[in-house]
Amino acid sequence: MERHGSAIPDAGNAKLNLGDIFDKYRGNFYTLFVLMVLLIIWNFAASRIQNTLLLPYLSETAMEFFTAWTDPVIMSNLGLTLKRVITGFLYAYVIGVPLGLLMGYSATAMQSLAPVMNSIRQIPIMAWVPLSIIWFGLGDGPTVFLIAMSAIFPLVINTIAGVQGIDPNYYNAARSMGASKLDIVRDIVVPGAMPHILTGCRLAMGAGWMSVICAEFIATSAGFGFLMVEAQVRLETAQLYALMIMSGLVGYAIDKVFIAVERKMTSWRFKDGFVGS
Amino acid sequence: MALLEVKEISKTFTQKKKPAHIVLENMSFNVEQGQYVSLLGPSGCGKTTLLTMLGGFMLPDAGQIYLAGKKVEGPGPDRGFVFQNYALFPWMTVKENILYSLKVQNFSKKEREQRLQELLDISHLHGSENKYPIQLSGGMQQRVAVVRALASRPEILLLDEPLGAIDFQMRELLQEELAALVEETKTTVVMVTHDVNESVYLSDRVIVMSANKGRIIQDVYIDLPRPRSRQSKAFKEYVSELTDLVRQAFREGESVKKG
Repeated sequence: MERHGSAIPDAGNAKLNLGDIFDKYRGNFYTLFVLMVLLIIWNFAASRIQNTLLLPYLSETAMEFFTAWTDPVIMSNLGLTLKRVITGFLYAYVIGVPLGLLMGYSATAMQSLAPVMNSIRQIPIMAWVPLSIIWFGLGDGPTVFLIAMSAIFPLVINTIAGVQGIDPNYYNAARSMGASKLDIVRDIVVPGAMPHILTGCRLAMGAGWMSVICAEFIATSAGFGFLMVEAQVRLETAQLYALMIMSGLVGYAIDKVFIAVERKMTSWRFKDGFVGS
Repeated sequence: MALLEVKEISKTFTQKKKPAHIVLENMSFNVEQGQYVSLLGPSGCGKTTLLTMLGGFMLPDAGQIYLAGKKVEGPGPDRGFVFQNYALFPWMTVKENILYSLKVQNFSKKEREQRLQELLDISHLHGSENKYPIQLSGGMQQRVAVVRALASRPEILLLDEPLGAIDFQMRELLQEELAALVEETKTTVVMVTHDVNESVYLSDRVIVMSANKGRIIQDVYIDLPRPRSRQSKAFKEYVSELTDLVRQAFREGESVKKG
């Protein structure tokens, strides 16, 4: 950002420089602009349609949206959903990353496991719903299972790609310096695959967040997805819109957290000024 | 007894549906303690294969390699290997890279710290020890790679075209740095190169290999005082002599291909 100049005016020239401020927050201005345009279109469309069941007015939805953040029922259901996502994600991580490391590292493991994994992967996530209810009943069980199921494959696949992308010379270099098998796994395989593992985490978390809402439509009587179904049943479309926007924002926030973790954990990648996504 | 003994080694690469490719056949040579030896030859002459076998990453089909009387049967810290792309671990700082061999060999913290200072001294890398490889210039990366290979005091340093990827202007400068580093540590070196000028500038001895089964065409001793001047008449004579030999090596390979 330095090349745009500093947004802080120096003491000798205390005049507020709007151009500099604009430069500094250029990206945010554009985001805001797009948002404004979308909201204007929404309001225009709502006033033409004149049917709040289909498309509620912006003001109505905004009201629902802002009160939702202080509504204890909505917040506790959101908390429950988040807990499920994190639990499911952790299961997927604990199983998926070691599995990916193994499959990336050992050709034998790859040959024996890949066909099975790639077949299971093709089963649509919603097709697991009936089975997961038979297995776990209603409540947390099936939702956590569905999250783990949808999160594990991006993790495994990205971990495999991460291990396979490691320069073979890193292994040779480590071996020539006297590293044992364990040293190589700890110092070469895991950190070498880490950028891909973290990308896998982002995708897994996204997949988990999307599938949890779906799972909660069917397999449980609590959670954020369940609230949406309720809003629909009560024909409170404005609240449904507000909940959908919230789920988008929460997912976005989770992704931002993962990006921050990624930057922290693989800071060596960003030292030359390279900016990731 | 020579430090490194290569005894009648052979290596053949076989691929499905392709005729077997004999890379090296009955190759023998010795390297004395403290010598700087270059393996020079056109691409495909097996020089990198040979170095890979010296490193222990690959074993010969026949014959043996002995280092300080011990048979080479795998990679080990008695040989410091510098890879063509340096293979610095990008997730480790300069310090962690340099000390990696001491870490996995469980040297004490005190020993590691002391060795780090020595290595930073000879490589002039003080102040960069906490940087990551991505933050270093090509020349600095090369120095890190060399001192990392030297950290556990190997018997021999193996260099695989260490300047292959560096542009021409930079290369001469880095050759000077490399010469100074090696001279300071008095290490025995075997270096693979295809650059005649580089081999004359750095080596005590240049082994010219043919593209036909890696046959040693000639073993040339470079009898020039150091530091060497690239402008001297004797230097230029060595360069032209070796250039002719490399041409011959290349032609041998071509004639084999033609059948």
